[in-house]
Amino acid sequence: LTESIFQALAFRNLTVKNRLFRSSISGRFDNYDGSGTQTRIDWDVKFARGGIGTIISSNSPVHPRGIIVPNYAHLDDDDKIPFWRELGKRVREHGAAYVPQIAYSGRQRDIGGIVYPKGLSSTDKPEPIHGFECERMTVAQIAEVVEAFAQAARRVREAQLDGVEIHGCNGYLITQFLSPAINDRKDEYGGSLENRARFPLEIVRAVRREIGDDFHLQFKISAVDDHNALLFWQGKGTTLEDSIQVCRWLEEAGVDGFHVSSGSSFPHPRNPAGDFPIADVIRSYDTMLSSGKYTFRNYVAFRTWPINRLFRWLWTRRTRGGIEGINLPLARAIKESVGVPVICAGGFQTGPVIAEAIERGDCDGVSMGRPLIANPDLPNLLASGLERAPRPCTYCNKCLINFVENPLGCYEEARFESRDEMVRHILSVYRGAPLPSEVT
Amino acid sequence: VSWDVISRPLELGPLMVKNRVLRSSLGGRWDNYDGSGTPVRVNWELRYARGGVGAIISSNAPVHPRGRLLPGYAYIDDDDKVPFWRDLIARVHEHDCAYILQLAHAGRERIIPGIEYATAVSSTDEAEPLNGFETERLTTEGVREVVRMFADGARRAKEAGADGIELAGANGVLFTQFLSSAINDRNDEYGGSLENRARFSLEVVRAIREQVGPDYCLGFKISIEEVLNELLPWLKRGNTVEESLQVCRWLEEAGVDYLHVSSGGGFPHPRNPVGDFPAADVVKTFDTLLSSGRTTFRNYLVFRTWPFSKIFSWWWERPGKRLGREGINLSAARLAKQAVSIPVLCTGGFQTASVIAGAIERGDCDGVTIARPLVANPNLVRFFEQGRDSAPRPCTYSNKCLFAFVENPLACYDESRFDSHEEMIREAFEVFRVAS
Repeated sequence: LTESIFQALAFRNLTVKNRLFRSSISGRFDNYDGSGTQTRIDWDVKFARGGIGTIISSNSPVHPRGIIVPNYAHLDDDDKIPFWRELGKRVREHGAAYVPQIAYSGRQRDIGGIVYPKGLSSTDKPEPIHGFECERMTVAQIAEVVEAFAQAARRVREAQLDGVEIHGCNGYLITQFLSPAINDRKDEYGGSLENRARFPLEIVRAVRREIGDDFHLQFKISAVDDHNALLFWQGKGTTLEDSIQVCRWLEEAGVDGFHVSSGSSFPHPRNPAGDFPIADVIRSYDTMLSSGKYTFRNYVAFRTWPINRLFRWLWTRRTRGGIEGINLPLARAIKESVGVPVICAGGFQTGPVIAEAIERGDCDGVSMGRPLIANPDLPNLLASGLERAPRPCTYCNKCLINFVENPLGCYEEARFESRDEMVRHILSVYRGAPLPSEVT
Repeated sequence: VSWDVISRPLELGPLMVKNRVLRSSLGGRWDNYDGSGTPVRVNWELRYARGGVGAIISSNAPVHPRGRLLPGYAYIDDDDKVPFWRDLIARVHEHDCAYILQLAHAGRERIIPGIEYATAVSSTDEAEPLNGFETERLTTEGVREVVRMFADGARRAKEAGADGIELAGANGVLFTQFLSSAINDRNDEYGGSLENRARFSLEVVRAIREQVGPDYCLGFKISIEEVLNELLPWLKRGNTVEESLQVCRWLEEAGVDYLHVSSGGGFPHPRNPVGDFPAADVVKTFDTLLSSGRTTFRNYLVFRTWPFSKIFSWWWERPGKRLGREGINLSAARLAKQAVSIPVLCTGGFQTASVIAGAIERGDCDGVTIARPLVANPNLVRFFEQGRDSAPRPCTYSNKCLFAFVENPLACYDESRFDSHEEMIREAFEVFRVAS
């Protein structure tokens, strides 16, 4: 039934063992200066042991100014190459491919940190949810960031990893250029779709120049912005038609695969689709309070009934049609328009749902974030014939909300026998503990 | 001349320290959330060992996860932590520097409770007054369990090759919560009279002695002046100096090899670390604590809102203005020294060789411990060695290090001490870079 999931997938320059990808999920496991730690290695190895075919790394900033939050391993300097080489080696021992995600946050951050309190963006308007302030990039700064992406990609190749993913979605810097709801430039990087796409296309060409034609390069894109899902008074941003055109251009420029997500921000009601856990938000949102202009307003709003209820209603109204596979129609539309494989993100965790999506031709593979946090050995469970993990992810989004202050892990107490068991599961990342399926 | 005094070896019971300057307990959230240690902690300690201090007193090492001040500190709660400490201590020893492990239980005095234990334990069930951390009262049997945790922690410290143990008994942590007449409201044998309030501390000392034997250095850090009401005037003042000195005498009888004199019945406290209250910085990092206690939101508004932030800063800075910043605890140390015959260490803003040498020669104390000035100048002792009286860029007591460390890497954040913001950041990040 689920055979199609466990067939190899061949990209132009890379063949992976199955159709399951671990999406970029991070956790503040590294050092504040962007150097990597043993914990990051143990974190990623955990998923490799669980049977995943490909691991897309944590969001890896190509420059310290492009961080979302401190404590993610950077790819900003050659001194980081040995760490990534070691990480890749450890992951590949378990048969998984390792594809770093090279990224730049722009104005959308969680904690600005002590090095560069202000981000860079296509615009100088603050990010609308938290109010992170930013500077509008000059053309020279754009060229510097393009080059930073290219050099980061070179480091990935030098670290002998399996490919590169350019993080082009979810409201980070590339979205800030692509989206007509954000990009308000008058120069050659703003205005028409062609102009808005210039920045990512320059990045792809510069990356290709550095990694050559024989190294895997995939691009993660938000197929739709749905910019007004929360900010209902604003425009809807990039449409599917725009994105299809951008993907065609990207393919011409040398992209070997697309990873389809959605939403012009992170988090966004469509991604990760699910609940808005108010009690957890109150407990960890404080960590961000000093970061943006509007964070204090939000803090009070999240604490105050009925404002927090209204926010939760706005948050969940996009997902009433279902969470698992929310992006499949978008992935299908893109797959029909390009000649390279397409991976789809969004709540996947049920074997038949994934298999049918692949067999129907909606996508060639799926990526998973939260369901793997809940069940790191989900691929092994599916391979053993289960349709779902015995305790599936509930899409409560508590993992997402907790990671700013606490170790990334599953915080859905209902999934565990006790709170103690939950805490043990969360802290097991520091011990390289065995997975349930490895203990007989 | 000052160096002649400072460079004299110091005997702390069976432990010989090569000079009179020790690094005080200094944390930094370098370790893993589960209390396992990291190479960054090792780098951090080597920074001071290389700088020439005679001994390093470790970061606050919890004897149980529930006794943690905040996540990110290495524990000594389990035998599985011994290899980490052994490795760290061996690296420190390469620099001819002694290592004293500080065993701690924070009780209700927490900074971030974290995900494991929503409530703390204490002598009382009253919430901690500054942040409002909720707490449960330890049962009599519960107190005895904590005594055993300390004894086990001491055994592990010795197994790890530490040169001694210090009990974190000052600054409002669990020992203070038992000792203090302002906090301890128990009716059992651990509350009431001074003798009862001291019982927990003395039982821990005796249990450790039994565990490690007579020839192993054991110190006790104590706040001689508690002045719990210095910051929050509606609280009680706490133990008198005479009460604290009586406790010191009992500790000596019970087998303590040295006393380490601090002040304040809470942490932070206007006397410790004495200095500025950097309101602008506090707003940037105190938010990290907001979801932790019952009264943190009140504090957040106070710190953010003029004129409350000004009034609070003025109030905070009064004791330092009245008593001076460098050597603020010397008069208390002198009283302790007169009360006992074991060596007395004194903490509190030391960074001038002549001040330190003068205190030792006068007999106020036998040695000093330093925290913030070493964060600013880890090579301070090297400057003293060269005959300088102070570092070229001394610590300004801005207390920015203290208020930053909850959210940012522990380091000197007084930009006026650096040529540029970039230089400051480079120095702050050095701890991640030193090859380990």
